[in-house]
Amino acid sequence: MAKLLKDKVAIITGGSRGIGRACCLAFAREGASIVFTYNKSLDEAKELQTKIKALKVECLAMQADVRDFGQCQQVIQKTLKNLKKIDILVNNAGIIRDKALAMMLEADFKDVVDTNLGGCFNMSRAAIISLLKQKSGSIVNISSITGIVGAPRQTNYAATKAGIIGFTKALAREVAGYNIRVNAVCPGYIDTDMVKSVHESIRTALLKMIPFQRIGKPEEVAEVCLFLASDKASYITGEAIKIDGGLAA
Amino acid sequence: MAKNIDKIKQEVKSLVSDITEIPEADLAEDAKFTEDLGVDSMMALEIVASIEKKYKTPVPEEKIPNLQSLKDIYDLLEELL
Repeated sequence: MAKLLKDKVAIITGGSRGIGRACCLAFAREGASIVFTYNKSLDEAKELQTKIKALKVECLAMQADVRDFGQCQQVIQKTLKNLKKIDILVNNAGIIRDKALAMMLEADFKDVVDTNLGGCFNMSRAAIISLLKQKSGSIVNISSITGIVGAPRQTNYAATKAGIIGFTKALAREVAGYNIRVNAVCPGYIDTDMVKSVHESIRTALLKMIPFQRIGKPEEVAEVCLFLASDKASYITGEAIKIDGGLAA
Repeated sequence: MAKNIDKIKQEVKSLVSDITEIPEADLAEDAKFTEDLGVDSMMALEIVASIEKKYKTPVPEEKIPNLQSLKDIYDLLEELL
């Protein structure tokens, strides 16, 4: 059977760990050339690059801070130089700085906004002209269930994830005429370092609220991203799909 | 470019008129596409693509957001050609 992303070039930000890593591997298995960015996790990035190349696809690992527009432009330019085009962009890079609002510093808010929402803008902005000229492309933004239902101690994170959904819907309408699709996924609690950093007592309480009674796997999110990125989702744009085991059902 | 400037200006004006569907007579050189002429900002890209094709010269991406009037396009072409 033909691979879903044969001859496609995909850029995945924050690719070295968690959901981003699972996307890199899922997309590579389906034949895409992979460009992923990482900020600090050099060892994980090297290990992943080796693993992706073993799947017989091209793989470029680029250190980049998505808060910096110039660095995002460089990622796009290097991709175009080396792989000639961009078909798929997954805006995944994100951080948390969980605190009650009463205790939250301005820097806690700003860091999260600049990385999660600013990074989504920076990468999309840097890539969009190439996609518009090409008249094709698929952007998948990683939002969160928190962006829909909120969560205590995550006013910063929830604001960015809700912002990403708005950004997704607006851009989807803006570029639909250019055969570019823009969608979001809203993972619930997924087995990543980010969720592991949440306090054990909170995680136990959360599990009871999930109808499936378990946290999700990064691969379960990656499969939905793969579908949205592929031509299988050719009539879907402006959508935000919950992947949360029924948490917000 | 100097000796062809009037010709190029006329070609560009005609091209912009075709894309924006605004009569050439209404396209004042200094009029801002979005604010004054009500042109969708996405059309800037269509204009750029047409210019690149017609004059066989790539327009640097960082210049695109600055193309807000016919005059901006004339100035850019003067620089590029």
